[in-house]
Amino acid sequence: MDSPSRTFERLTLPGKVIFTLVPILIALLAGLVMAIVLVGPFALDFLSANLPLVRFVVAATVVLLMTVPTAFLIIYMEMKVIALMNLRYGPDRVGPYGSLLSVVHGLKVLMKEDFTPTGADGIVFTWAPVVVYMASVMTLLVLPFAPGIFGVDMNIGLLYFFAMGGLGVVGLLMAGWSSFNKYSLIGGLRSAAQVVSYEIPLTLSVVGIVLLSGTLSLNKITLDQSGSLFDWYVFKQPLAFLIFMIAATAEANRTPFDLTEADSEIVAGFATEYSGMRFGFFFFAEYVNVFIVSGLAVALFMGGWNAPFDWPFPIVAQPDLAGMGVGLLLAIGLIPPLAILLLAMPFYLLNTGLRFWQALVIGFVLFNVVAVAALLGFAFISFDWVVGLLWFLMKTYGFVFLFVWMRGTLPRVRIDQLMGFAWKWLLPAALLNLFVTALAIVLVTTPR
Amino acid sequence: MSLIPGLGLARGMALTLRRFFEPKVTHLYPEIPAEISPKFRGRLQLLYDEYGTLKCETCFQCAQACPIECIDMGGEDTKGRFAVHWGASETYGERREESALRRSGRTVPDPAYEHFHEIDLAPVDAILDEVDHDPKEMLRILEAIQAAYGCVPVAALKRVSQTTGAWYAMLYGTATYYDHLAVGARDDGGPADVAFLDALDGALTGRSIGDGSAADA
Amino acid sequence: MSADLTTARHASSDDPRVMLEEAVGVFAPIPPYPPRTEREAEFYTLGDGEMFINMGPQHPSTHGVLRVVLKIEGERVVDLDPVLGYLHRGVEKLCENADYHHTIAYTDPLEYVSALFNEWAPVMAFEKLMDVEVPRRAEYIRVLSGELNRIASHALFMGWMALDLGGLTPILWSFIERDEIVDMLASLTGQRMLFNYFRIGGVNGDLNHEFMSRLGAWMSKATSQIEANQALLNENEIFVRRMRGLGTLDREAAFRLCMTGPNIRASGVPLDMRRAHPYSVYPDLEFDIPTRQEGDCLARYLVRLDEVKQSIRIIDQCLHDMPDGPIMAKLPRLMRPRPGRAYAAVEGPRGQYATYAISDGTDQPFRMRIHDPSFVHLQAVGLLTSGNLIADTMAIMASLDPIMGGVDK
Repeated sequence: MDSPSRTFERLTLPGKVIFTLVPILIALLAGLVMAIVLVGPFALDFLSANLPLVRFVVAATVVLLMTVPTAFLIIYMEMKVIALMNLRYGPDRVGPYGSLLSVVHGLKVLMKEDFTPTGADGIVFTWAPVVVYMASVMTLLVLPFAPGIFGVDMNIGLLYFFAMGGLGVVGLLMAGWSSFNKYSLIGGLRSAAQVVSYEIPLTLSVVGIVLLSGTLSLNKITLDQSGSLFDWYVFKQPLAFLIFMIAATAEANRTPFDLTEADSEIVAGFATEYSGMRFGFFFFAEYVNVFIVSGLAVALFMGGWNAPFDWPFPIVAQPDLAGMGVGLLLAIGLIPPLAILLLAMPFYLLNTGLRFWQALVIGFVLFNVVAVAALLGFAFISFDWVVGLLWFLMKTYGFVFLFVWMRGTLPRVRIDQLMGFAWKWLLPAALLNLFVTALAIVLVTTPR
Repeated sequence: MSLIPGLGLARGMALTLRRFFEPKVTHLYPEIPAEISPKFRGRLQLLYDEYGTLKCETCFQCAQACPIECIDMGGEDTKGRFAVHWGASETYGERREESALRRSGRTVPDPAYEHFHEIDLAPVDAILDEVDHDPKEMLRILEAIQAAYGCVPVAALKRVSQTTGAWYAMLYGTATYYDHLAVGARDDGGPADVAFLDALDGALTGRSIGDGSAADA
Repeated sequence: MSADLTTARHASSDDPRVMLEEAVGVFAPIPPYPPRTEREAEFYTLGDGEMFINMGPQHPSTHGVLRVVLKIEGERVVDLDPVLGYLHRGVEKLCENADYHHTIAYTDPLEYVSALFNEWAPVMAFEKLMDVEVPRRAEYIRVLSGELNRIASHALFMGWMALDLGGLTPILWSFIERDEIVDMLASLTGQRMLFNYFRIGGVNGDLNHEFMSRLGAWMSKATSQIEANQALLNENEIFVRRMRGLGTLDREAAFRLCMTGPNIRASGVPLDMRRAHPYSVYPDLEFDIPTRQEGDCLARYLVRLDEVKQSIRIIDQCLHDMPDGPIMAKLPRLMRPRPGRAYAAVEGPRGQYATYAISDGTDQPFRMRIHDPSFVHLQAVGLLTSGNLIADTMAIMASLDPIMGGVDK
């Protein structure tokens, strides 16, 4: 009775920790194994029977997790690009070239006090950022990133996209109303007016594409543009592309049309009273929106994941890895050290004054670089979706750069100019585009 | 504004893109210190003459004149008697109220002055009682202190300032003006601990006793 | 009414443990005192669908601490009431208690973006009081540094203008421009912003090598650099469309409002103190007075742009004509001018800076009145803004270019 406890007393602190944790872990593991053995088959059956559900849960999780690094990247991009255009250096202290500054901003926002102003409508005030953020995250679900890499392939994808995109304005209106601040109210109402006005030309501009491709599914629209460069809809619908870009800028509240948070007029618009992570949600949603709008432009007009040109080199015959047998094992064991030595050789032999171990370290690093590049190249050649994802992201970030560039250059328009532009110019132009497209389709397809 | 709509915007965009690749003008300050022209007047520091001697005479006139109490002094002066802090009191770790207090003549605890407190202040009190704490009799008080201590210790000056209500700055100015008064001089007549501390000071700062502190003020 | 009011809890000031509930759905009346004039009573009566919105004193674009109470109906500004005094320092009174020499240090920070002109006007007034003849070289140095300061001020104006219209980039380019000039002036005067350089009877220091080399390097590229920077805005459709026809001030109104400087020159009146009441060495210098007929925000912007070019021209002439000689007149340390009064006006970047000084024979001015153009120009805001949009308020205020340090004195 007494001796085990005395033995335990004599143990050092790590010993105590280990002797406590190991049994617990073993018990947990055993429980887990038992559970898998007992429930596993049924669960697998259930999951395989409901594959769309699994797909949705995974997609929703991935999309939700994806927004954070995306927002960080775009925020960093905005800080850096605008700074360089302003002849400044921009962030250059945290991380390489200041690239971690947006992460620091995120942490700062998390740590700040999160207060509700006196007189604010607490519930609405709290939920507004959530609505805004969820609206942008949910639009991300139907965006086709690469062949097979998309959340849900809805047959009404485009409609869903615009519906969800329009939902965001409800959040902004909620924020503007509940903040108990006149600047917020004006900002919220401005955003409502702006988004409602620009939703119409935005939607009308893509109807031409819908007519051409005969589907609302973003995935199928992208597939429609596969082939050569000139199958992209931007060449068939240039006017629609222009209208789409202008309306999308307004929809995402980006710079020539960022009246909702015009800092020189109404302080920060709907976000005036927000602080801490609630403000962070608005901030994130804004940048995720930029990504989404760019992604949509790419998927609709720029051929989505399709490469603009075919891969110029014929794909090398893939090695039959399984056929190599023991040779594979030997290769895995021998190639890395040999390659490291080989790469270290020049640094050691060429009288650079490096010691042997330093040369080895350089060789190791070089080997890693080469190996990773080789792996990526292998993946690029053999997996379709890696290529697709790469092209998609490249194009999307090209558009993000365009948005940031515009922010660095252009002043803001006035509210009456904004509305007049939407109703007097964009809407007729979108209707004209739709009419011409329909006419062309009728003329081409009608047998004479 | 050009005839083709959007051309101005496009030219602006082209200009910003060109600036994107141009060399940047930001001064990377902590790494590369700013170039300050020799004529720059904004720096708070004491000047030295061509012989390398501090020009400041610690007359406290500037501290008295400064309307926003930006200048204050304390410590050691040209002759190694008193350290001079120059600039806002905050910059050398003293609060503004303390600075104002000290300027008003009352003593405030200050680590830099600690070793001046090591004297017996009874003779000062006796002298002050004799003249009924009258600040108009300042020279007489100071001479009496000089006679009692063989010098005018800083602690005694502070005591006088505290009890008579005269500005410490004025007292210090008066005491350093007259040749027969030796402020802070610590010759044989001074108390033993002062001499000891002076020796310690000398050992620490590398000067011999009585060299910088000779009563030649 | 009280049924749907939100309540807030706050600690009682008497007993910190007691929490009081207070209705927050009603605002305290603005202003919290009964109206003092008819105009005030009219302004603070809300019509149907109107509301007040309080811009400033802490607002991103009120150029300092100007507070503007806007009466708006939707996005449209019905009426407007600028509230001043948040930066009042009592400079005139301070000057009455200072030596003639010391006043320069007090007037310096009035308009902090163009400090030299705030020194120039009082210095000229005191020189008139004392019958001092300023050496010619000192006058040339004054003109040279003054024109440099004018360019620095106008550069900043252009950046602010764009910033108030939502452009992020021009302000930083302007600051690059201004920084070069200000560094140059720092090597001449010893300070970057509040120069404290002009003295009664001359200037504080002669031109030095560092200043001249910086100035030479800048002059060789100044025109092209300024023009390159302006290409971003001058042809920008958004910018021009927002500015053209906005806040139009005609000749008559400009005269009635006693506007001076670029603001009246944009309305077609070639009024310039440098020509109207010539002072210093300006009669010897060749320069044009740029004017525009439109009187709108764009004209006010472009007039300043042209002025920069004229200033470069003046600097060029100064460098060519600069005579040799002393930079200070012989003057006693302690000045006791004869009893009398003097008035002096100079043309600053915002208009006419003037000083009216009365001497009673002592070494301090008996009374010193400072006339500042920003204060006068601010009157026009109410006239120009009514009926425009909120965003236009900012554009109009930026185009008038008031500096609150000068307005509140």
